[in-house]
Amino acid sequence: MPPLRRSLKSLASILAAVVLLLTLATPGLAGNEFKGRWTLRITVPEAPNSTIERTFFVTLDVSPRGESLHGRANVTDEAGKTVGAAWRQVGKELSVAYELPCQVGAPCASLILQGRVKGGGILIKKGTVIVMWDTKNDRNPSLYDTSNGTFRGDRIEE
Amino acid sequence: MAKSTKLIALSVIIFAVAASSIGTSAARSQSEFTLAGEWIVTSKPIDGQMASPNGISLGFPDRDMIFERDGDLRTGVVLREDVGQNVHPLGVWRIDGDQFSTTFQLWCPNANGPCGSIVMRGQFLEENKIKGTMTAFFNLRDDRTPTGYDTWTFSFVGNRVGGGPN
Repeated sequence: MPPLRRSLKSLASILAAVVLLLTLATPGLAGNEFKGRWTLRITVPEAPNSTIERTFFVTLDVSPRGESLHGRANVTDEAGKTVGAAWRQVGKELSVAYELPCQVGAPCASLILQGRVKGGGILIKKGTVIVMWDTKNDRNPSLYDTSNGTFRGDRIEE
Repeated sequence: MAKSTKLIALSVIIFAVAASSIGTSAARSQSEFTLAGEWIVTSKPIDGQMASPNGISLGFPDRDMIFERDGDLRTGVVLREDVGQNVHPLGVWRIDGDQFSTTFQLWCPNANGPCGSIVMRGQFLEENKIKGTMTAFFNLRDDRTPTGYDTWTFSFVGNRVGGGPN
């Protein structure tokens, strides 16, 4: 076999092996499993009934859920304050719930984030946020003021 | 110093000390409320609403709830051994004086059925007794609600049965 042909054959074998390795590695990612460290960009109204929005970033450290349907996570805000969160995932559908760290003089709330984990488990685009404020409102079915927001998530560490 | 002046001065001092003592006591009792511990929470419908507008109900079982605190991490778990040995919905909580909020995920083994999240809002009636409302936000669209999700609220009362500040 001429040297050039032999080299091409070797290269083809190496490429085939790389493709095979990538294929074998894909199932874990293809599951869109929620894990690792994430950055979430959350946009919600700054107060009940306000049309002014605020956007903030949090880091989410997701603990493995093992065989459970639910898992825990730590949410750290830009001020370095860390609180807990609870999450569940069915297929791509993800829900993360946590209590906002309350700041003196500012309205406080509970957040429920819902979205779809995509891109092999690295991205949540166009997620929605339910905000339940601490202010009572008898005309709201939750009996408290509520708002809607949006979020995006990017995994920054596996 | 005249006798009447002494009496007035003494009254002012006694009043100041008493007011200060009452203030300190109130502040202390407010800051001492904690959900940490085990609670039995019973619930009932509000205005006869047994289910959400879209017909989803969680029923009204007694819920055995355990809350823990590790610094700023406040976690909760519901022990639903009545449903299954490993059914342990997870949640988190926060507290402000005698008011508290907790948020839980619903346990949904059927991937094709509706699911959702719960927010409990309540207050301490006394150190080991709470009451409030639970709101379920189901992941079912409903344009009649402000959030756009099927929403159902019912009331609860809870009694601490273990753990706690003491």
